[in-house]
Order: sequence, then C-alpha cells, then structure tokens
Amino acid sequence: MSELLIAKNVTKAFEGLVAVNKANIVVKENTFTMLIGPNGSGKTTLINCCTGILKPTAGNVYFNGTDITGWKPHQIYGVGFVRSFQIPLPFVGLTVLDNVLGAMRNPGEMPFKATSKRAWIEEEEKNMERAMEILAKVGLSERWDMPSSSLGAAQLKLLEVAKGLSSGAKMIALDEPIGGVDPASAHEILSHVAELKKEGLTFFVVEHRIDIAAPFADYVYAMDLGTIISEGTPDKVLNDPKVIEVYLGKGVGSTCSE
Amino acid sequence: MSAVAKTERKAPRLIGIRELVLLAIIIALLSFFIFSGREKTIWAIVFEFSIFAIITLSLNLETGFTGIPQFGRVAAVITGAFAVGALPGRLMAYIIGEPWGAEYANAVFNYRIVPVINELLASNIFYSIGFLLLCLFTAAVFGAAIGWLISRPAIRLKEAYLGISLLAFGDFFMWVGHNWNIMVGGSTPINVPDPFRIFGGDRFMAAVLVLFFIAIVIYIYLERLTKSPFGRNLKMIRDNEVSASAAGLDVVKVRTRSLVIGSAIAAMGGGLYVIYTGSIGAIGFQKLTFTFWPWAYMMLGGIGSNFGVLMGVMLLVILKTMIIVFRYDWFAFMVNVGIDPMWLEFTLMGAVIVLVILFVPHGLVPEKVEPVLPEERVKRVLAKRQLEKTSEPVS
Ligand SMILES: Nc1ncnc2c1ncn2[C@@H]1O[C@H](COP(=O)(O)OP(=O)(O)O)[C@@H](O)[C@H]1O
Ligand SMILES: [Mg+2]
Repeated sequence: MSELLIAKNVTKAFEGLVAVNKANIVVKENTFTMLIGPNGSGKTTLINCCTGILKPTAGNVYFNGTDITGWKPHQIYGVGFVRSFQIPLPFVGLTVLDNVLGAMRNPGEMPFKATSKRAWIEEEEKNMERAMEILAKVGLSERWDMPSSSLGAAQLKLLEVAKGLSSGAKMIALDEPIGGVDPASAHEILSHVAELKKEGLTFFVVEHRIDIAAPFADYVYAMDLGTIISEGTPDKVLNDPKVIEVYLGKGVGSTCSE
Repeated sequence: MSAVAKTERKAPRLIGIRELVLLAIIIALLSFFIFSGREKTIWAIVFEFSIFAIITLSLNLETGFTGIPQFGRVAAVITGAFAVGALPGRLMAYIIGEPWGAEYANAVFNYRIVPVINELLASNIFYSIGFLLLCLFTAAVFGAAIGWLISRPAIRLKEAYLGISLLAFGDFFMWVGHNWNIMVGGSTPINVPDPFRIFGGDRFMAAVLVLFFIAIVIYIYLERLTKSPFGRNLKMIRDNEVSASAAGLDVVKVRTRSLVIGSAIAAMGGGLYVIYTGSIGAIGFQKLTFTFWPWAYMMLGGIGSNFGVLMGVMLLVILKTMIIVFRYDWFAFMVNVGIDPMWLEFTLMGAVIVLVILFVPHGLVPEKVEPVLPEERVKRVLAKRQLEKTSEPVS
C-alpha cells in the first residue's frame, strides 16, 4: 500500500496560538484512517492545512508523491483530494441535488458551452444519476429538489458528506461527518463509506464519536493540544494511557491507568 | 430508446401569478400613457427600458448571480460608449479618406465628417447593419477588456474593498474620458455615425425597436447562461467561496469570467445609448444614472432573477417617466412644503431602495431555488435510468 497523503512536520500558528504543532501523518492508500482528539486539539486546522483552506506556517504536505503545500483548494481537488466541512457550508441558493452536482465537473461550466444545452446535457444527466445514488446513500434522496436552506442541521451534515463523496476523488477527508447525526444513521453512513473503500477510495476521517467510528478504522491518529500523541491500530490507540488521559481528564485518567 | 428521446419535450414553464400581476400593472400603466394621448412617451420608455435592461441584467450577472459588489457599473458602460464614439466612426472616416486621427474628435472636423459617413450608411441597408454590428462588437471587446483589467487588482479583495475599488474605477474612467480630448472630444460632445438614418422619418421608432430586440436577445442569452452548470458555479461562489473552492472551483477564474461577460454586456448598453442619441459627451455618464439606478432596478425586480430585473427596470422607468411628465400637474403642491418637484425622480430611486429593503428584501420577483434542469426533466431522466437498470438483467 502506497502512502497517499503525507503531512510532514505541519505547523499552524494563529498569532501566537500554535493550533497544530509539527504534526506528522501518513494516510495509506485505500484505508480508513481516523483522526481523534478532544475539541480544540487542532484536528480541523490540520485538515485545513492539508486541503489548502489554510497555508501551514511550516512543514509540507504531499499527496500522491506531489508536494501540495500551499496549493489552493481547487488545485488539490484537481489532483484527487477533497474534503467536507465540520460546520456545513451549503450553497443556500441551490437545491440539494445541485449542491451535489456542483462538486462534479461538466463541459457546461465553460461560458461558451453553457448557452448550448446540447454541449452539456449528457454529462449533466450522467452526473445527476450518480448524485442521486449518493443522496440515496446518505438518506437525502427524498429531498433532492428542496432548497438546501430548508434542511435541518443533521441533514446539512449529510449533504456535506454527499458533496465530498460526489467529487470522484481518490481521497476524501471528512471532518466529523456524523457529528449530531443519530447513532443508527451514523452507522449507516459509515457503512457506505466503508463500501466506497472497496472501490479503492481512501478516507481520512476526523471523528469525535469513537465508539461508532472506530470499528471502521484501519489506523488511528490521536491528537491533543496540536500534537499527535498516539498512532496505530484502533485497539492500540484507544488503549493508550495518553489517549485515555486526554479523553477522561487527568484525575480520572491516572486512576484508570493503574 | 430514440423514440423516447424524440417525445422528450421541455415541460411548459408556467408563468407565476406574481409575474402576471406585474405584467398587468405594467400594461395598465403603459395604456395610461396611450389614453392620455402620449403615445410618443411610450417610445421613450421602451428606449430607456432597453438600455437599462441591458445594463441592469449585466449587473445582475455579476452581483445577483456571482456576488460581486459591482458598484462601478458605470465604468464598463462608459468604456462601451467611448469605444463606439471613438472607433467605428474613425474606421469609416479612414475608409472614405477623411481625417481619422486626433482631428476626428475635434468638433469642427467631426461635424463635417460624420454627415458624410451617415450618407454612406444610409445608402445601403447592409452598410447600416454592418456598422451597427461593428459598434456592438467594438463595445463588447473593449468592455470585456476593461472588465478583465479592473478585475486584476480587485478580484481577490473581500466584499467592501472590492466594492469601493470598483466604484473608484467607475469615476476614474469618466474623468479620463472627460479630459482626454483626442479620444471623444473631452468636454465637447462629438457626433457618432448613425446606422438608423436609413429609416428616414421613422428613425427613432426603428432604433427603439432594434434596441428592444437586442435587449431581449441579451435577456435570453443570460437566461441560458445562468441556467447551466456555469450559472450554478456562479451561485456556488456567491453562496460560499470556501465551499465552492473545495468543490473544485477556481474562484478567481470564475469571478473574472462573470466580470468580463458582465462588462462586455454593459458596454454594449453604453454603446447603444451613444448610437441612439447620436453623440457622446463623457460628462453624461454619471454613476448616479449608470450605477445607482441599475442597482435600484435590480433590487426592486429581484436580485438573482433575470425576469425580475426586466420587471424592475420597466416599472421604475415608467414611474420615473410619469414623474417627469406630470411633475407640475400632480406634484406642484409639494412646493408649498418646500420641495421642488424638479428633483422628484431622483428622490424616487432612493426611496425605492429604502422601501425595497424594508418591505420586499428579495424584490418583486425573487430568485427561485430550482434545479438547473427543469424539475420534470430531472424526474423523467431519473425514471428512465431506473427503468434501464431494472431491465438490464432481462435483456
Ligand atoms: N482561524 C482561526 N483563527 C484563530 N484561531 C483558530 C482558528 N481556527 C482554529 N483556531 C484555534 O485553533 C485551535 C484548534 O482548533 P480546531 O482545529 O478547530 O480544533 P478541533 O477541530 O480539533 O476541534 C483552537 O484553539 C481554535 O480556537
Ligand atoms: Mg474540528
């Protein structure tokens, strides 16, 4: 298995606050790699640095052998690496279906071709079919023609995941895809993700709800205060005293580790 | 399968109640002019509608669809006006062997040369049409170029900064034109050859009809442009830049495209204005008329709705004309409270913006959230694919 995403000594500081501190991460191809850690530990910031939303203060990011440090998000999309957002950012002026279609490419995006429907209708219909399949997977197919602004918080999260899945990328980073979703649906979504893994995709998933997500993971990184504190198989990381400590608090942690 | 494809027809798009009511109001207002014996005023209204529909539609593409705060619409309008005032006439002068350099913009020469060109244009309908198309082409090319140039320093800026730099560019262009004598005569207006001269006594009516036709063509073009994957991209960037970028869109590139197309169209509006009036003076292009008014039209009609923009322009142009025509019949009483109705139409636009923001923030015909393809079509396609899938194992 080759190393698809490599973050080397990635550091991100916000005017003095070091949100990510020399993080080293390797995501191997065709794995479900998880990133856990308490709130504010720097998980989102790390994903932002890897996907071009933020520029790392120091360090490098490699994707598929290419140095993508400081690239724009659309350029990183172009090499096959996309992400979803923890706080959903829907296109409120579009329907649910068009939100998903927007992440897919079509010749009709060129202004000269846009005015002649014949130039893009075929691709659009193909994309539409795929988009509906993805919407069905996240349980939104009933609502395809609704304005995305009419969705509730949990549904917006699902739409966010659908936007990520639709792009046809090699690797997808999902930032807390099941946060706020009821456990049954959360399990269902992760099952779909696991299924997509069979098609050769790679997932890098930030998740808070370890109990639901861990069974799907091949490899886990744990983060605290901007630093990677543990990595390995789910079993190993979840039983690592350092991880237990940050999750349960120092006092409890020390009694637990005895 | 081909039989299915053949019977596939676009679902008839029913016009909404809202649109019908607005159309009815517009027709009622227009017939008021007819019944009060002012048919001529209607031609003036249609002229103004056509010009401002073109300009406001272009503003709507940039602002309504793409989210660019275009506070400098006047810049592209001026560019189109100057280009049409300065270039096609010079080309004609060159062809017929008249002075075409700096002298062309000198009123003394200009007032002699242009009638000669007009005579030539009026001699052949193809010359006239060719000249009109040349003017439109020139305006569009220069408008696109200026749209691109303006976008270079400004496009990466955030809302307020982008808006203010576009505003500054608008004024800058007017003052350049006003002071650069050899281009279009600076502060002295010069004449522009008239491709409508061939219609003789019906010149103005013919010109209005042609302008109206061009406005409708541009409306149809923009409807198709915005109801497409390209239009979807514009809205994505408007709704959320970061998310659009993560969805693979080059935000700077798409915004630039919108600005270039919008500026080209606005420039055609400016060029047509000059052709219709037959002369150009830089000082005539003020941001009040060519930035602020289009904003008022767009806000009343509905930001992000092309049809709404048409309605907004029509309604306000009619109201404005009514005020101008009946100023002293209807509003003379205002003098008693110290308001001279002389400036009423300017007050109207400000009042409209305030009232729209207060009572109809999305405009009279708000933007609809609907699939890029008509809903019926989406359903049919999906049903068809479903059928193909289930019947696959059988065949
Ligand atoms: N844009 C920003 N500006 C300043 N501080 C930020 C910014 N984004 C995140 N932070 C800070 O960085 C730290 C890590 O945040 P984040 O990456 O969102 O954590 P997580 O996703 O693990 O909950 C937090 O202390 C947060 O307040
Ligand atoms: Mg986070």
